[in-house]
Amino acid sequence: MRWVLVVREAAATAWASKVPSALVGLLVAVMCAATIATVGRTAAAEQQLTDRLDEAGSRVLAVADARGEGLLPATVVDQASTLSTVERGVGTLIPVDVVNGVIGQGGTRVPAWGVHGDLTAVADLQAGRWPGQGEAIVTDTAMTQLGMADPFGWVALASTSEVDDWSVVGTFTPRDPFGDYAAGVLYVAPADQPVDTLQVVLTDASAAQVTQASVLALVDPPTPDAVTITSPVSLADLQAQVTGDLAAFGATLLLGVLGGGALLVAIVVLADVLVRRKDLGRRRALGATRATIITLVIGRTLAPAILGAALGVAAGLALAARLGQDNIPPADFTTGTATLALIAATTAAIPPALYAATRDPVRILRTP
Amino acid sequence: MLALEGVSFAYARGAEELFGGLSHVFTPGVVTAVTGPSGRGKSTLLYVLGLMLTPSQGRVLLGGEAVSAAPDAVRARVRAHRIGFVFQDAALDPTRTVLDSVIEPALYAGWRLGDARARGSGLLEQMGVSARAGHRPGEISGGQAQRVAVCRALVTDPVVVLADEPTGNLDRDNAAGVLAALSAAAGGADQAAESADKGAGSGPDRGTSEGRTVVIATHDPFVLDHADEVLAL
Repeated sequence: MRWVLVVREAAATAWASKVPSALVGLLVAVMCAATIATVGRTAAAEQQLTDRLDEAGSRVLAVADARGEGLLPATVVDQASTLSTVERGVGTLIPVDVVNGVIGQGGTRVPAWGVHGDLTAVADLQAGRWPGQGEAIVTDTAMTQLGMADPFGWVALASTSEVDDWSVVGTFTPRDPFGDYAAGVLYVAPADQPVDTLQVVLTDASAAQVTQASVLALVDPPTPDAVTITSPVSLADLQAQVTGDLAAFGATLLLGVLGGGALLVAIVVLADVLVRRKDLGRRRALGATRATIITLVIGRTLAPAILGAALGVAAGLALAARLGQDNIPPADFTTGTATLALIAATTAAIPPALYAATRDPVRILRTP
Repeated sequence: MLALEGVSFAYARGAEELFGGLSHVFTPGVVTAVTGPSGRGKSTLLYVLGLMLTPSQGRVLLGGEAVSAAPDAVRARVRAHRIGFVFQDAALDPTRTVLDSVIEPALYAGWRLGDARARGSGLLEQMGVSARAGHRPGEISGGQAQRVAVCRALVTDPVVVLADEPTGNLDRDNAAGVLAALSAAAGGADQAAESADKGAGSGPDRGTSEGRTVVIATHDPFVLDHADEVLAL
């Protein structure tokens, strides 16, 4: 039998058997809608959790020179920034207070950080240019507090014992996760001065463990308490644990919905096969092979199942949307659900199809 | 040529054997009526000839080939291409149109839909039921349904037509019509399909110059009177 005619025959018999076809379509639709509305919510929650845990702020590894022993020279910062698991990294000095140099010690104090490394790792330039040695950039907030109308002028240390100043050459906004710098000034740290803190943003939170080990190898602290480490390792472990739990819960729920649905589809198809046994016996007598019978039974299950999957996905998405935009599962989950539901329905139709194909046509035809 | 060679059949191991090693050659172009008392296996013999039952002993030969021992898929293909069936109750698909029912074996035989439809329409025309081509079986009479069943049996231009009590549910006039159609089918020149063939572009042309083998299982004296040959079981 030609394939195109098998498809036509399957569609025609599915249309002719309206009740079982409607039941199969309804079951597949319910499978899809229920999966999207329940498992889909879990998938959406898992996705949101992953997104949140993957934000830059959750991927920062900070190593501080606890006793100021000069353990973090510029070379360590440069080497750490080039690790394959590091997205970007900088070394910073302990912040100092600065005032508008024109106003002097009576001016409003704002914090200033000395930064070693690529400043683009921590800031986006808004106006002016990037600073060089002895120069600084400010945020709009700091500029207002310093009493500057434009990002020009200079800032000086708010200290009576030390004297240092930096020319202001531009404005910036801090990049995530360096929001603390929004309150102040960044200046280029002297290249020969070890930094107090090394901060690196990881490419992935799951790389925290290996990156931490690599960075500590570079720093090589004389004693474990010589450095203070703020690490996302435990956060990464938690992320893996929570997403794993959510995935396991979702998979169990998915298997339950699809398994239960498939069982019901199998019962409907078997009932249809039993009701239409004369039809199948006649087909065998007229020359249909067993393979043709199997294909027809599966085909006439698949036809309404495809329609049911489309309706079920639409209904599931509508239901999820009503429960809140955050509950709409990712597109690949929706497509995967429809595909799995169709596979489940097709698989469920195989045993009844085999049963139909192996019945004795004579016995069937001679049964009153 | 269809032949039985020492055929016996039992529905189950140890059950009563039917036919007792029957051998018979069915002559093409001849209508053979298989008759006998109830329970002697008239219908069973038809199903053995139609390769739906496998003899417990002996074999069925079609064109000199022992087809009864072939694998199921091969026997199914032989049924689709070379054997036509007429059942007692017509056994048309109640959910499909008359024309769809007629062309069913042609689809299993791998014909193109257009060719099958042309052939089926021609046969319905020949049998005088073309006006019912678009109707469902429930909308036509018993006599018309059985003539449609004959059309279905002839649609692939088979070399063998097997009919199981084809007149069992019909009145005399309708029975005569169906028997005439079967006799015509045995006639060799493919009278029933001749006009249809002109419209059917492709499809197996088996060349029925020496006629078809038509075997009718019956206990109806009217059929026995019209048969060319009677095989009593």
